[in-house]
Amino acid sequence: MIEKHVYDFFAKFVFEKTGIFYPEKDYYRLDSRINKLITQYECKDANDVYTKFTTSRDADMEQFLINICTNNETYFFRDDKPFKALVDDMIPSLQAEFPGKSLNFWSCASSTGQEAVSVIISILEKFGNSVPFSFDASDISTDALTKAKGGIYTNLDVQRGLPITLLVKYFESVNNGDWKAKPEVSSKVRFFEFNLFDKLFPTNKYHIIFCRNVLIYQNSENKAQILEKLAQALVPGGFLVLGAGESLIGTGVNLNQVTLSGSMVFQRPGLKSNVA
Amino acid sequence: MKVLLVDDSNSIAMVVGQMLKEVGHEVLRAKHGLDAVDILKQHADVDCILLDWNMPEMDGLEFLQHNKEHNVASCPIIMMTTENKPEKIVLALQNGAREYIMKPFTQDILVSKINSVTEGAA
Repeated sequence: MIEKHVYDFFAKFVFEKTGIFYPEKDYYRLDSRINKLITQYECKDANDVYTKFTTSRDADMEQFLINICTNNETYFFRDDKPFKALVDDMIPSLQAEFPGKSLNFWSCASSTGQEAVSVIISILEKFGNSVPFSFDASDISTDALTKAKGGIYTNLDVQRGLPITLLVKYFESVNNGDWKAKPEVSSKVRFFEFNLFDKLFPTNKYHIIFCRNVLIYQNSENKAQILEKLAQALVPGGFLVLGAGESLIGTGVNLNQVTLSGSMVFQRPGLKSNVA
Repeated sequence: MKVLLVDDSNSIAMVVGQMLKEVGHEVLRAKHGLDAVDILKQHADVDCILLDWNMPEMDGLEFLQHNKEHNVASCPIIMMTTENKPEKIVLALQNGAREYIMKPFTQDILVSKINSVTEGAA
């Protein structure tokens, strides 16, 4: 039996770090997480792990809890429309606006890296190496980032969304049926830890930001805060790509909604030639 | 959709057949490539073929090669096999396979691969 003050504490901690909200009626969803903490840190029970957590303030322990509370679901070419809009519309538009400039991309909730890899493969397929770009990919989960940095995907991972022709072209077979992205893909992305609740955000830096299937877990206040910071992180004319079904509604964030190749994306105003 | 499953393993046929029926597909079964050739003569309306590699009589690669010469199947063919070396995959694609499923796989993977090769088909 887990006492209410223990639930209250962990629910508050997770909300403050990740924005993931556990109302009291859903406290049972914390049970498995608290039990994992108990096992991992060899505690007797929930009270014991609560005491250890609150007295030690151990960064590893905090990160462990964040890792087991975040959802790392992802797959290659998820909701494939944005990838078409990327190469058919967004990149040509940006190349026209910023001729000769290297484009900066950011996958700001990259999980285990499939989104970043899918974007890079899309660019290589369409433009070869003729589009200079840099690619940042970040996540709050260090477990997900460890896998992303390793770049090794299982047999099941590579069969989710990735056409077979792209698998044999851009991946090499490694031990026991796993697959590793070839250097022409993996060398183009830099993975790093970043929390979307951090106060320090880059500004005027990115031409395209992918923030898909993150805001659905946030309340409206957090959603507005994250979106405002992402909007500022874009260069004028840059694009924000959200998940299917995610929008700016109710946030007041100043981005123009545009539909490109059947995909709804959001463009920072400030250029005469904005698509909108 | 009518799917022809070509696999000599009864257990694979049972599991995959169940996965396909659950999503509303009609399933025909052949135990090897020659068997598939015969079935296709009677069922020209097959929408997709799932083809194992290692089988008696006529294996999956031989079936692909036979199909290239004799055009026994006009629908997309997906290899479904434990063979997972890149050179084997490339060989199957060069011989006419449109997609490739590596065992083990999930129902989601099976369904999405079939959808990917049959989308836009009449």
